[in-house]
Amino acid sequence: MTSRAFAARARAVLIGTIALVSTAHAQSVEQLRLIAPAAPGGGWDQTARVMQQALQREGIARLAPVENIPGAAGTIGLARFIGAERARGDVLMVSGLIMLGGIVTHQSPVTLRDVVPIARLTGEYEVIAVPAASPLRSLQDLITAFKAQPGSISWGGGSAGGSDQILAGLVADAVGVDPKRVNYIAFSGGGESMSAILGGTVSIGINGFAEFAPQLEAGTLRALAISSAERLPGVDIPTLREQGVNVEFENWRSLVAPPGITPADRARLESVVRAMVQSPTWRESLARYRWLDRYLDGDALARFVDTEEARVRSILKKLGTGATTTSSIVPSGAYPRLVLVGLVLVGLAALRRAWRSETSSVVASSAGAAPLALVATGVVLHLFLAERAGFVIAATVLFWCTARAFDHRHPVRDAVAALAISLASYVLFARVLQLSLP
Amino acid sequence: MNTLELLREGFANALTWAHLGWAFAGVTLGTAVGVLPGIGPALTVALLLPITFTLDPISAFIMFGGIYYGAMYGGSTTSILLNTPGETASIATAIDGYAMARQGRGAAALTTAAIGSFVAGTLATIALTFFSPLLASVALRFGPAEYFALSIMAFAAVATLLGGSLLHGLFSLFLGLTLGLIGIDQLTGDARFSFGIPQLLDGIDVLILVIGLFAVGETLFQAWRYGRQEFEAVPVRGFVGMSREDWKRSWKPWLRGTAIGFPLGVLPVGGSVIPTFLSYTIEKRLSDRPEEFGHGAIEGVAGPEAANNAAAAGVLVPLLTLGLPSSATAAVLLAAFQQYGLQPGPLLFSSRPDLVWTLVASLYIGNVMLLVLNLPLVGIWARVMLVPRPLLFGGILVLASLGAYSLNRSMLDLTLLYVVGAVGWLMRVYDIPLVPAVLGLVLGPLAELQFRRAVAISEGDLSVFVTRPISLAFLLVAVATLVGPWLVKRRR
Repeated sequence: MTSRAFAARARAVLIGTIALVSTAHAQSVEQLRLIAPAAPGGGWDQTARVMQQALQREGIARLAPVENIPGAAGTIGLARFIGAERARGDVLMVSGLIMLGGIVTHQSPVTLRDVVPIARLTGEYEVIAVPAASPLRSLQDLITAFKAQPGSISWGGGSAGGSDQILAGLVADAVGVDPKRVNYIAFSGGGESMSAILGGTVSIGINGFAEFAPQLEAGTLRALAISSAERLPGVDIPTLREQGVNVEFENWRSLVAPPGITPADRARLESVVRAMVQSPTWRESLARYRWLDRYLDGDALARFVDTEEARVRSILKKLGTGATTTSSIVPSGAYPRLVLVGLVLVGLAALRRAWRSETSSVVASSAGAAPLALVATGVVLHLFLAERAGFVIAATVLFWCTARAFDHRHPVRDAVAALAISLASYVLFARVLQLSLP
Repeated sequence: MNTLELLREGFANALTWAHLGWAFAGVTLGTAVGVLPGIGPALTVALLLPITFTLDPISAFIMFGGIYYGAMYGGSTTSILLNTPGETASIATAIDGYAMARQGRGAAALTTAAIGSFVAGTLATIALTFFSPLLASVALRFGPAEYFALSIMAFAAVATLLGGSLLHGLFSLFLGLTLGLIGIDQLTGDARFSFGIPQLLDGIDVLILVIGLFAVGETLFQAWRYGRQEFEAVPVRGFVGMSREDWKRSWKPWLRGTAIGFPLGVLPVGGSVIPTFLSYTIEKRLSDRPEEFGHGAIEGVAGPEAANNAAAAGVLVPLLTLGLPSSATAAVLLAAFQQYGLQPGPLLFSSRPDLVWTLVASLYIGNVMLLVLNLPLVGIWARVMLVPRPLLFGGILVLASLGAYSLNRSMLDLTLLYVVGAVGWLMRVYDIPLVPAVLGLVLGPLAELQFRRAVAISEGDLSVFVTRPISLAFLLVAVATLVGPWLVKRRR
């Protein structure tokens, strides 16, 4: 690239950035916020970011900022979505099968019945695979070994209650082994489980086809079965069904809108999503990420979610994850008890020593209390005001009180600095970087 | 073609004025966003990647390299100047870095961090260039038993950080371990100690604990001391860079930090807390003046900063050779590769060698750029310490709030931050060390999880920890760390 072309590009990027900043002010109807209830890097985050790109590049939405609310298989994001976004017509959250599992496993007080389903977007089949050097040559080998000694087969996959464990449970159930006896080893994140599978730490691995595909092509892993109903075109992996295991399973992802939106909002969101899934950018991305197009909306979607929920609930019950007691070899309660006993013992000893030391009387005396109380007042006001009056006011109050605690001679200077810092950080976070602040 | 030729070709692709411009833009943006509290490297990269999508693949990859290293680098600045680490990688830096800044040696701390990052980043990138496939295959031999042994070794190292009073140190450690119990048990999905509050299901973020204890606790403590008329004289010397002695004390920690950080970064269960704190404890043990640690020892900044940058390069080894994203940041990068039709996985190197080698070359370039960008900025940043104390502490609290809230967009986190801050104030008053609590929160859950995984895989057989050689070696080192000093003392 010549330097002139570089200058042109740089200008384009700069203009793009400025446009990004300036359009944020105009609450244009074309703004669509996307919430990924997971940390950056996962499947839901990828879905949201691919959507962002498709929506913006195709001009379907002028601006589509992505916000991550990670945790607990998306149930933290779900609770927050229902609470904070009620009746907002300009926001969508990525959801899917794993969230159904999370709702059951973590006994979430809110469920997918509390939100408005907009569309099912993509699906991914699961693959059962072993390292190339594994003695298990076929699914039959696996089933024979598993039936003989269920505990000797360790199944490595994603988080507890997620799609990988659900499939392990379905397979065990189908071949007549109590799903509770599946020795499932949960890993967090794709890299961790994949390295355990590649390194032969676990006997077999379960993961999405897209994640396994590169390893299968390179020959480092051998696929035993895929969870689709029929063989996929161009993919030489036998299905579970054709090998006598009557299981069909797919990890689907969908979009939901907050409760309480008007029918007009709902219709608009549905049409935006429909336009997006038909766009070339989206179609290209599907191929690139090996996602299957599973677009579904309306009543058919609602029925689909209901059947899936019943299925997930029943298999997780059989697996015994979550609140029901699990038959794991090292129970989850032993270590916490050890730590709590340690804390109490050490704590009592430390308390006894503190009681006798002179420091206690120093703390109890009122010296030093005034500035501390001022900072504490600032903090309490800050926490109280943050969601009621907004970040700028809350932060200004906090700054001002803290500054006054250290030196009370410059109230005006402190106030000006407080407002300036708070405003600057607000503009930077909320406007330039598109991260929401109260 | 051999590695050198491929690398040369990569450099040939990367070394044009336009590409250097993109590399500079990448490191600048990466540093600028990475500096902000509560925005870790993963989010920084995710936020900035859309900018690269308008570019051709080679320019984009060069910018990736810059953004990645820039984001990793940005965190140390707020750690040193404001005691507010922006990400887990710079927690260890805050301990002595902030102490140095308070003594008017902020510029020296920032300089050793910048040069240490450069040295570590470059050496680690060289190791990445030549030994990736070998290292990746070794990393795959690490299973739960090895990770458990590794965390036990890290626990043994904590013993040196317990501080003057064993009782106080243990109290702090158990406090951290207890906080670590909160949240979902990963193996079963059980919620533990979450008291029905959904936001607690994911546990307490280590950054909430760190910013609360360090930044908020310190502000409260200083306000309290101000009220008691105990003034602390802050010698303001403005810009004082590294003295000859600082150089002498820094270069070995840089190299040792690299040697620790890089291999640990390669492991798929990475995290940057273990490498940085291992480096910190090793520096403290090897130092002639261990008493200076915690009160502004430059080794305590040089070592961990080198370790954290070397680990960041190490993360790229499993990513490029096996397609394994071992950190959230790596997962974001992996997704970006796919945008350019790069198939992440073991065939990455052979399918598009041009792009991969350009990326590697741009890592070298990004490192140089970071140094060029940051050394002149040191003088400007260091002047933050000239801000009047009332405004400085006011600013620290606002940034702490901003950071805590941005992590998960949760009001509960914000409230917790100040509760932890109050605890931090009390701990300071009673002279209870803060660091063991942080390590307890990080290491406790890791040790428990890996122990239970290992035992589940072996069907209850506890001997796995001593029959697997790597695991046994770590455990022996742990025992030696604990018993060694005691034996030496007895012989004297």
